[in-house]
Amino acid sequence: MTATSTPTGPLKAKLSAIVRRREKDATDTGADRGVLSEHDRKRPSVRVSTTAIHVFLFVGLVVAGLGPLLWLAKAAVTPTQDTLTQPFALWPNGIDWANLSQAWNDIHIDQYFLNTIWVAAGSWFFQLLVATTAGYALSILRPRYAPVLNALVLATLFIPAVVLLVPLYLTILHPPVIDVSLLNTYWAVWLPAAANAFNILLMKRFFDGLPREVFEAARTDGAGPLRMFWSIVLPMSKPILGVVSVFAVIAAWKDFLWPLLVLPDPAVQPLSVRLPAVQSQTELDVFLAALAISTLIPVVLFLIFQRLFLRGAGLGGAVKG
Amino acid sequence: MTLTSEADAAAEADPRHPSPEPAGARAAMPTRRRRQRTPMTWIRGGGAWNLAFLAPMLIVFGVFSWGPIAQAVIMSFQKTNLITPATWVGLDNFARVLADPNLGTAVLNTLYFAVLALIFGFPLPIIMAVLMSEVKRGKGLYSALAYLPVVVPPVVAVLLWKVFYNASPDGVFNTILGWAGIPPQPWLQSSATAMPSLVIEATWAAAGGSIIIYLAALIAVPPELYDAAEVDGAGIWRKIWHVTLPQLRGILFIMLILQVIGTAQVFLEPFLFTGGGPNNATLTVLLLIYRYAFQNSLGGDYGEATALSLMLAIFLGLLSWLYFKLTDRWSTN
Amino acid sequence: MKSSRRIAIAGLAALAMAGSLAACSQAAEDDGKLELRVATFPPGADQAAYDAFAEQEKQFEEANPDIDIVGLEYEWTAPTFAAQLAGGSLPDVFTVPFTDSKTLLENDQLMDVTDEVKELGYADKFNPIILEEVTGSDGAIYGFPRQAYANGLHYNRDLFEQAGLDPDSPPTTWEEVREAAKTIAEKTGKAGYATMTSGNTGGWQLSVQAVSRGATLQEDNGDGTYTSTIDNDATKAALEFLHDLRWEDDSMGATFDLDWGSINQEFAAGNIGMYTTGSDVYTALVRDFGMAPDNYGLTVIPLEDGGKVLGGGDIAVMPPTIDDATKAAAVKWIDWYYMQKLLNEDAAVADAKALSESDQAVGTPLLPVLDQETYLESQEWIKDYVNVPLDQMTGFTEGIFEQTPAGEIKGQTQPIYALMDNLVQAVLTDQNADVDALLAQVDVDAQALLDE
Repeated sequence: MTATSTPTGPLKAKLSAIVRRREKDATDTGADRGVLSEHDRKRPSVRVSTTAIHVFLFVGLVVAGLGPLLWLAKAAVTPTQDTLTQPFALWPNGIDWANLSQAWNDIHIDQYFLNTIWVAAGSWFFQLLVATTAGYALSILRPRYAPVLNALVLATLFIPAVVLLVPLYLTILHPPVIDVSLLNTYWAVWLPAAANAFNILLMKRFFDGLPREVFEAARTDGAGPLRMFWSIVLPMSKPILGVVSVFAVIAAWKDFLWPLLVLPDPAVQPLSVRLPAVQSQTELDVFLAALAISTLIPVVLFLIFQRLFLRGAGLGGAVKG
Repeated sequence: MTLTSEADAAAEADPRHPSPEPAGARAAMPTRRRRQRTPMTWIRGGGAWNLAFLAPMLIVFGVFSWGPIAQAVIMSFQKTNLITPATWVGLDNFARVLADPNLGTAVLNTLYFAVLALIFGFPLPIIMAVLMSEVKRGKGLYSALAYLPVVVPPVVAVLLWKVFYNASPDGVFNTILGWAGIPPQPWLQSSATAMPSLVIEATWAAAGGSIIIYLAALIAVPPELYDAAEVDGAGIWRKIWHVTLPQLRGILFIMLILQVIGTAQVFLEPFLFTGGGPNNATLTVLLLIYRYAFQNSLGGDYGEATALSLMLAIFLGLLSWLYFKLTDRWSTN
Repeated sequence: MKSSRRIAIAGLAALAMAGSLAACSQAAEDDGKLELRVATFPPGADQAAYDAFAEQEKQFEEANPDIDIVGLEYEWTAPTFAAQLAGGSLPDVFTVPFTDSKTLLENDQLMDVTDEVKELGYADKFNPIILEEVTGSDGAIYGFPRQAYANGLHYNRDLFEQAGLDPDSPPTTWEEVREAAKTIAEKTGKAGYATMTSGNTGGWQLSVQAVSRGATLQEDNGDGTYTSTIDNDATKAALEFLHDLRWEDDSMGATFDLDWGSINQEFAAGNIGMYTTGSDVYTALVRDFGMAPDNYGLTVIPLEDGGKVLGGGDIAVMPPTIDDATKAAAVKWIDWYYMQKLLNEDAAVADAKALSESDQAVGTPLLPVLDQETYLESQEWIKDYVNVPLDQMTGFTEGIFEQTPAGEIKGQTQPIYALMDNLVQAVLTDQNADVDALLAQVDVDAQALLDE
């Protein structure tokens, strides 16, 4: 949670107070009421309907949100024929635990999972690196040519990723300066992911809102640009770092087409690319076990870091708005 | 004012706080603009630092964004197969794309997907969010349940739903339909039902994210507005109609545009579920671009692919521009 | 010994994935040895296949001490193929399916090996239909055909028995196929008949079925141009046959998005009674898809109205850029690794022995690459090592030489197969599909591709 080096003493207290206030502003401005007033809630018809809403929400969300995952968990340890002929019967012919180990060992879920993490971690790192440094330079250091760069970065937001598909692919094959194809290396995924104008925009907007007085003070105090970046700006930016991180990791996790193109070698492919490829070579029960394992880890991560995810998603929406 | 002096004092008071040549730094700043610009003043004015901080962005954007965008424009006027040198062909690529009978199919299919996604996918999260915001207990649980499908990796979700869509009477969904006495449906196996099947899965996969965003927006609705409406004697439905929805107008419109931008680039579902079939019933614009560029084993038609990309880009660029206009207005309000 | 079709399905060409290695492949001399980069298997091949290859590599290097063989794992995938060609990162020896050989050689992307083929003395031993696959319009030979197969009708003996049909007398006409499919569907609830529909395999198998009914899908004008003739009565009959099985008999199950991998998976799992595919699929069915060998049956495709049996295969080739020393070494390797086992008893026995010891299928029915006599003789040589149930394949092995073979269409093969996919998908997923209109449209579109 804490950056490695933060200002100490009263300054720190002041900073964290600012940050806390901003976080608070972002999350709970509304009071504890919605459409229904306390008076409404006491009306019998409303009470009946709120109960009905509860039942509806609970049943609906369990069936739609949890149902498919529970079915997957069941099917993962069910023999193929049972899944095909009686999809909702609970193990009419016993549980087949071997599916899991077969998926793990034969499909090498472990390796592809590691690849996936590797893809996500690198994308996350480079996205944050580019977004924070660029946001800092454009918002706080603000050289004279900053507006031009800012416009150039913003302009890319209007150009959908699909335009880049072919030329970017060719760039990966023949990158400038270094004459080595990046095909089948993670650089081919990480670096293009880092060219994300939305991240820079988010960062810059956030930095723009930081109180200038702090920087002036630090500058007066002799803090160089690097120290100011590392010890003042970054620690003050935890909320936005969190949002960009969640976006970065989710995007990397979801990406399919791009890694499919630039990582043709199965040894380096993430799960998202590998699973469709092995589908037709794999028996259904083992394949479902592989899907279940691939789902389990993100779901567990979500359940552990639920608040972060949901806040990131909500905040993301708010910031997007 | 106070903050400055406090922070200043705090920094001064901190013995561990290094302050190399503070006098010089202080003196340099106010005079910087008036001096003649030389490399030395540039460096001392922080020019090198500026560049150092901009370097990652400049490199990454230069090589992987600005460069390829320029290249895309050039390539759309060229014929190249990566084997023989590229030749200029003027507007040929555009003409060929426009003459391709598949283009009409792809555009119509993409529109069909977008419309279906709006019908299935747009109102549902709003209704769910409004309902969820009204329950006092269990909101956390409901949010988590609603968000669960978003956490499932999209490729896994598609592959799992492909199993659900098994068209035999013993398929997962057909079994459920069977309980209700509905005959088995062909799902992905029929030109007529394939596209709706894709949209249902896409809606399932995306609704949770929208619900969470709407929930956040609902919290921001000022409670005084409800109080005021009640003073005017408004009932529950009128409060929703006259307070909640108008207050959500901004975010609703933004989500709408985002969804249109997203659906115009739909690829994963048709690619993994049906490969564009049966008989091109789910061929989308992006899938067509992919086919131009990467389907043909003996050298893709990169010119046509970039030409179609550019045409799609212009359409999406207009939408994005609209989106930014609106978000700017919305966030300054 | 991966099935050639397995590579082909993914789309066709088995071409090497060598990354940036080829840059330094130009006769890189290392301790006096010439390094020769050769294609081996797609990634994911089982260890046994590699063990067998390592053994063969050792034998070759002992016989040719000046050549250092470097085996490169490779798999052709559509998105990277063009890049491989452009980047020059192909191995010195690789294989391509017949479907792509014409396009490559007309693009000058293959090495001319006319002299070498003649020198080795098997120019006139090749089956002329197969030699035609590697001959350019200039009359030069651009590769060594090394394996060929014919399409056959594969059936599940177990399902035949369950349906009360005799697995030892499989259908011999398309009408009998339809009857059997109907019986299987009614008695077992499984799909009596199925056909591939996607990833260009639908077009491939539609041409198999159309050609068996006497269709000619493309005319070679002999001057490098082709005329599309897809819109003909035999193709229409093949499509209507599928339409009737699907909509009148309901004997094709409920899944119509099958490709090479998924149809094999379904067949191996016992969900499909009959389907058509290459005769060499047995290896993959048993090894990769877990089929019980006892359930497997293979017979010839019914031929009607002067129909022919469509075949396929692959050729060993070199990129045109390698130098003479590398070329000489590459020819030695091709001759030793691919060709000698077709002609030479010792080589054939050694190969069969190595394969059977590492549990790879030996004896899967193929078509002769060389003349029929040599082929039958070679089958005698390896008789002791055959480990596939040949007695369940007699319908094919006894009938195939009575059938007239035909090659796949030559111009724009894969793009036209992609167009034909849509025909098959249309009749199977839309009861009211207008076959005449669809056929006419595909013919026009195919001609447009050919005229480019």
